[in-house]
Amino acid sequence: MEPYEIEFIGENRIISITPNFTHDKIYLICGEFGPFRAGLPVNVPLWLAIMLKQKQKCHVIPPDWMDVEVLENIKEEEKRSRFFTKMPNEHYMVEAKLILGSAAEDVPNAPEIKTIIKDIWDIRMSKLRTSMDALMKTGGGYGRLDHLTMMEINSVKPLLPAAMDNLLRMQMKTKKTAPSLNLNSSTFSQSGSSQNT
Amino acid sequence: MESTEELQFSDDEEEVTAETVLKTLQSAWQNERLSPEILPHQNDMVECMLGQIQHMERNINKLSKTDLRTSIHKMEISRIKFIICNYLKTRLNKIEKYCIPILNQERQRIETDTNYLTPSEYKYAQEYVLNMENHMKNVVLNKMPGNMQVFEMNKMAEHPNLQTHVFLKANETINGVVLEDLTGEDEEIDLEEGSQHILQYKPIADLLKNGKVTLL
Repeated sequence: MEPYEIEFIGENRIISITPNFTHDKIYLICGEFGPFRAGLPVNVPLWLAIMLKQKQKCHVIPPDWMDVEVLENIKEEEKRSRFFTKMPNEHYMVEAKLILGSAAEDVPNAPEIKTIIKDIWDIRMSKLRTSMDALMKTGGGYGRLDHLTMMEINSVKPLLPAAMDNLLRMQMKTKKTAPSLNLNSSTFSQSGSSQNT
Repeated sequence: MESTEELQFSDDEEEVTAETVLKTLQSAWQNERLSPEILPHQNDMVECMLGQIQHMERNINKLSKTDLRTSIHKMEISRIKFIICNYLKTRLNKIEKYCIPILNQERQRIETDTNYLTPSEYKYAQEYVLNMENHMKNVVLNKMPGNMQVFEMNKMAEHPNLQTHVFLKANETINGVVLEDLTGEDEEIDLEEGSQHILQYKPIADLLKNGKVTLL
């Protein structure tokens, strides 16, 4: 899948906004949202929030995790742990990119938050590369990847699945040729031994 | 646009909200995008959603252009149209690429009424193969010596690689998924609910079709 498609999926997540207009409930196919009261928080899908923000009709309320202290903790935890830690949400990168991209002024300490999220991403990606390397070296055809987000998984495509496919193909080839090789070597040694005698 | 919330499926009298249909459609799109082979069609969902869109578009025309709702609804409709178009195109791409094996398998599936293709997709696949055959004959085969003029359908076939590795998430706990090992020692693993894995497509193909796992 393309990164924009992952972003598209991530845009369905619900976030909070404070609208600056008043409107009755809006009945969308993906659910009903509102009623919108100027100044009162309301939950909407991320795509709608960004759209309203672009029309200057709302302020985005940053999600709880979009906070320097919370993110610092996540970063430390990520550094300490050998495994991938659970992220505050499964589309954290998409959410961060869209909110910080179009509503940065609604997020306190936006530049710091951007940096920390980038750090967390980098730590996780380097962990992912190390574990991919380990997986390939053990010749495994199976791996467990809990807590990896869709965007992270997508970033190792098509490399990891393709590498595993090729590994499997090589193993199948060697398996197919192995019995005949044995046969050859045994006939060879037989003929060799017969020469000796 | 108040009446869009609930619609009835006349055949099983089960009430399904438009929201559920959309969710099903979205995961069908995601799985179809990521699976190597073609999956059973979700034509009911597509038809239902197209009906919803039409209904919604009629209602939008009644609204004034300056109404905030107009742009919001238009945006949502564009998003849903994107999913549907991309879903159908992905299926058509697979049908074109693997037309011969798909048609062969589909003929057997139609007999047991477990068809994967919709009637129009099936027709498309048949015509595609026919056109390909005619094209081959016109361009090459008819100009060959008589003993080389046979169109060997099965030699032209391209098969999806079912042994490719895919990422997946288990929607529920599944015990005893057997991973074939080349050394003959099969490994059995359990997929806990919500856990994510990378493994071969083949052992989980049926789980995917039953909705027990989602591809990532």
